[in-house]
Amino acid sequence: MSHDLYREQLLDHFHNPANFGVLEPADVDIEMDNPTCGDMIHLTARLGRDGRIASVMFEGQGCVVSMAAASMLTEAVVGKTPAEIDEMDLGQIEEMMGGVKLSMGRVKCALLSLNAMKQGLRDAGRLA
Amino acid sequence: MPLDVPAIRSEFPIFRRTINGKRLVYLDSAASSQKPQAVIDAMVHVWSHSYANVHRGLYTLAEEATMAYEDARAKVARFVNASDVAEVINVRNATEGINLVAYSWGEQHVHAGDRIVITELEHHANLVPWQQLAKRKGAKLAYIPVTDDGLLDITVLPGLLDDGRTKVVACSVMSNVLGTLPPVVEIAAMAHAAGALVVMDGAQAAPHMPIDVQSIGADFLAFSGHKLCGPGVGVLWGRRELLEAMPPFLFGGDMILTVKREDSKWNALPYKFEAGTPAIAEVVGLGAAIDYLTGIGMPAIQEHERRLLPYAIARLSEIPELRVLGPGPAERGAVVSFTLEGVHPHDIGALLDEEGICVRAGHHCAQPIHDRFCIPASARASFYIYNDENDVDDLVAALRKTVSLLARR
Repeated sequence: MSHDLYREQLLDHFHNPANFGVLEPADVDIEMDNPTCGDMIHLTARLGRDGRIASVMFEGQGCVVSMAAASMLTEAVVGKTPAEIDEMDLGQIEEMMGGVKLSMGRVKCALLSLNAMKQGLRDAGRLA
Repeated sequence: MPLDVPAIRSEFPIFRRTINGKRLVYLDSAASSQKPQAVIDAMVHVWSHSYANVHRGLYTLAEEATMAYEDARAKVARFVNASDVAEVINVRNATEGINLVAYSWGEQHVHAGDRIVITELEHHANLVPWQQLAKRKGAKLAYIPVTDDGLLDITVLPGLLDDGRTKVVACSVMSNVLGTLPPVVEIAAMAHAAGALVVMDGAQAAPHMPIDVQSIGADFLAFSGHKLCGPGVGVLWGRRELLEAMPPFLFGGDMILTVKREDSKWNALPYKFEAGTPAIAEVVGLGAAIDYLTGIGMPAIQEHERRLLPYAIARLSEIPELRVLGPGPAERGAVVSFTLEGVHPHDIGALLDEEGICVRAGHHCAQPIHDRFCIPASARASFYIYNDENDVDDLVAALRKTVSLLARR
């Protein structure tokens, strides 16, 4: 198997996810799922006095792509403002995941955690 | 006589290609089947030799196209043993056929307080049209449950029928997830005794076994051409007296007899239900697919899959992390859905693709049955005339690699 998508870095995040769990209390607390594939994520985050993301944790279940992306995202967004997170797109997620090129069918897996983050910030009134 | 699978594979041009440098192992025929050269040729022939619109022109091409189109309808009628060619309606797919019944028949006959009975193992195509009809009408939707073994528990059916409020019972002839072959003849007899209509989803069954609409007990049966080696076109078969009494589903050209400024009269069957220009070459291609399959023989196809299926289930069961969903091989068609402990179905699909193996991963357009077994999704291998034991062996080897790569260390 050549598994570009299943390289060691992603598998490490899948098997040993960073920031796995729930922050209590949290400023952002959201559950989101991909009903078509059964991926589910519960994302919690705290913002600092400066309005930037201070810490993020996630729990959930899903494929390697969705779980590895979520794990990496919890590290990548720390220090960002909600507006900066809102500007993140697929290209940045692919870069974050080590430069993978995601096929059409896997894009929504990779974006689940980012979409949850954005929606959670909106629900919390931190993003217009 | 067993099928000559290598010879059959050689008639499907797609098997000449490779995927990621590996031979193509196509195990997703339950979603859509591959096409033999004969079907491709039949469609190209219409387009390059006999193409014009049907039922209209008075010139040679139009007559040839009409003849080819109607000839295909006659082949479909023979394929399902319909006694009347006019009972065969060409639609886009099985989904459209079921929607046609739910709208055209359902709007007239289902009222508030009535009941519609379906089963827990339905594909969304035979579920959502009924669910939405029930909502529009204020009718009740009841499900025949599925047992832990993946079989229908029809002991609940008498209780759903005895008050005489059930207007329609809709049931798949074969489950696209579990492969379950429900006792449709028995279900139909019970439903008819209680005055209910019987609608069958034959999308999974029609490609794999002989279908006889005169003995199966259906009032309507829908199936799709693309799952039985044909192109993207579907068929609705219905009993003539029911179709005659139903209003049209779609309105427009070809389905009318006369149109006045204030009113119109409908064309005869089957044209009443075929508004607008149909998928002419696709219907001809479906006729060619039926010729191709009947040339092999539907009983021989069924026998081939009955031999392959126990082998597949036995080999897959050698993988300790793998759990096969649904009943034993004697009670199912050639569809095997499974889960792998610790591995999401998407990852199964993606990693098998690297080995040239095509399987479906997800809920296969049947969420309620996945909910029933408390799993979000599954992977599914489905088999057809061009699959053999080699494909099963390649699948099992690739699944073992997947487990060793992804299982928690």
